[in-house]
Amino acid sequence: MSVLPWVVAAWLFGAGVYGIVTSRNYVHLIGCLTVCQSAVYVLLLGLGYVQGSGPPIFYDHPPGTAAVDPVVQALVLTDIVVGAVVSALLLALAVQVHKRQGTLDPQEIKPLQGQ
Amino acid sequence: MTLLETLVPFPVVLPLAVAAVVLAAGERLPRHVPEALGIAAALAVAALSAVLAHGALGSTPVYWFGGWVPRPGVTLGIAFAPDPASAGIAAFTGLLFAAALVFAWGFFDEVRSVFNVLMLLFLAAMQGFCLTRDMFNLFVWFEVMSVVAYALTGFSLRTASLAGALNFTVINSLGSTLMLAGIGLVYARTGALDFEAVRTAVDRMGDDPVVIAGFCLVSAALLTKGAILPFQFWLADAHAVAPSPVSVIFSGIMVPIGLFGYAKIRLQIFPGSPDAMDILYRLVLGIGCATAVFGGLLAWSQRHLKRLLAFSTISHVGIMLTGVAAVAPVGLAGFLAYVVGHGLVKGTLFMLVGILLAEKASVDELDLRGLGRDIWPAGVATAVAALLLGGAPVGILHGGAHLIDAAAPPGPAGWVVRLAALLGTVLTGGAVLRFAGRIYLGLGADPGDEAHAPTDQEREKAGRPLWLMLAPCVVLLAIDLLTPAGVVEGLAARVVPQFGVVGPAVDLPQPAAWGLLMPWLALGGVLLVATLALSGDRLPRQLPRVQASVLTPFFAGLNRLHTGVVNDYVVWFAVGIALFAGWAAL
Repeated sequence: MSVLPWVVAAWLFGAGVYGIVTSRNYVHLIGCLTVCQSAVYVLLLGLGYVQGSGPPIFYDHPPGTAAVDPVVQALVLTDIVVGAVVSALLLALAVQVHKRQGTLDPQEIKPLQGQ
Repeated sequence: MTLLETLVPFPVVLPLAVAAVVLAAGERLPRHVPEALGIAAALAVAALSAVLAHGALGSTPVYWFGGWVPRPGVTLGIAFAPDPASAGIAAFTGLLFAAALVFAWGFFDEVRSVFNVLMLLFLAAMQGFCLTRDMFNLFVWFEVMSVVAYALTGFSLRTASLAGALNFTVINSLGSTLMLAGIGLVYARTGALDFEAVRTAVDRMGDDPVVIAGFCLVSAALLTKGAILPFQFWLADAHAVAPSPVSVIFSGIMVPIGLFGYAKIRLQIFPGSPDAMDILYRLVLGIGCATAVFGGLLAWSQRHLKRLLAFSTISHVGIMLTGVAAVAPVGLAGFLAYVVGHGLVKGTLFMLVGILLAEKASVDELDLRGLGRDIWPAGVATAVAALLLGGAPVGILHGGAHLIDAAAPPGPAGWVVRLAALLGTVLTGGAVLRFAGRIYLGLGADPGDEAHAPTDQEREKAGRPLWLMLAPCVVLLAIDLLTPAGVVEGLAARVVPQFGVVGPAVDLPQPAAWGLLMPWLALGGVLLVATLALSGDRLPRQLPRVQASVLTPFFAGLNRLHTGVVNDYVVWFAVGIALFAGWAAL
């Protein structure tokens, strides 16, 4: 495995976290969260990659043909579903907040304050 | 396949099936039938898991889904393996859900079945989380649990609860992302996801930087769910705004179960890697102590009762973490007992605050001063819970605290751990006793203008019968109070070797002077701080001055950290990850 997927994953994750930390709009912030998730997908697919091998489909290949690891692909696929659920839920919450407060700025949307 | 093995998947299947039925039948079911079905399912799950826990004593049954049993060298299937400790925690989860659902009877008349469906899904996810022995399956249950929790937090659609749910969701899904990355790294090195297969591979490899990195990432995610410093910021926001029956589950089991998962992967996957066991040992012990004190101080400084209880939960998970981190297996036994005892007491306290919300339409301590006299049974229950939380030497919680105390490392470090646990216990128990005295007895100085709560108006469904809301409180408190600490300690010590897979037998601590003194010291401290806080004008003149010049700014500073802005919380989260990474790298 080359070093490239590691670098890309780290870069994407860093960019996503930077986006979340500096975001002033919840829709943008949720987008950044998705970028963080994508970083992990890149990492996982990179981990399962085998140089010079095909997709893990053995319909027209004899068993034993070199293939990339299907397990990490299954993991990524499952997490895409979960990630979509989380994003949808977050966006729904953001819509509801916007309806009530007229803003999407995290600095102005605060739960109860202490004391 | 034995009967016991056949039963293994049912704690998950049953609530899912009932949820599907309730959802499909929807509004056609008569009023209260979805609630009754939910309670029955939760009780059935508790019974099933208890049967599993009992049957698993001696040898852990393993259930391979779809008959995908491992072949020599290759493990492709996914299995559930309920060792007695895991199944025991799962059974306790069922019990707590049943109590919360009884408490919620009539709470959600407008939305009818939806709430019950979500709760059943929540219950099923927790059962799966406890019983599985596959890393990715663990992650999936963790995610199901999280998503349901996000939805339940924002359930009431008030502005504060939406904001709390957003903070909760962003921080926790960031944690889940890291968990998946960690699982990927471990899989890349070991080529397996099954706990046993991974453990065998880790044993072979010993210390491998990629495996350690994976362990750190998974740990960080579980400690985020476990609300450990500095990942804890979401908790107070989420617990304070969730509906009371949901807060019962959050504080009672969802947060401690994060630590349970951490203990499980540490012991069932990474015992062969000295680095994974030792690198984090000092760090985790240290942040456990810090969390215990930090949560205690913040709990003491709150006037919003649900926030107060939320911070006390942070303090108590800190104490639990010192038990998990301890090298001695007796700490782990203490942790298991503490989870159950704490869940019983803290669940009760959230229900009692829910009673105030329903009957008095407020959760503000000063606002409610003296207003609780007509619901005095709730006051008695609150006082009993306060004393149990404050270390009273009876019951399950005390058994857990006693074992965790015995697991403290030798030397000065041990005294730091003990002092942190003592401070956390005194401050949280004292805070609860203080609000019980103020609300139900009308003690303390008249707050004057301050009485008006700075928070928005809150109210939960009124007109529910008081006895029905009190019944689950009394049952849970009675379970904690009437189970002898010695029995609990013996039971916890018996299940730990099987939980830790290779764990040695647990030596129960001999009665030592400190172990006998500690609960009384804690109880004395609780009474002292509560009396000081409630005696108001009658204090010597110096004390209020100290209060104004030292304590008030100090507490204000601690509270100012909790800005409620998700950007800041993510910065703290990143700092925590950096701390773990730096510590593991050194």
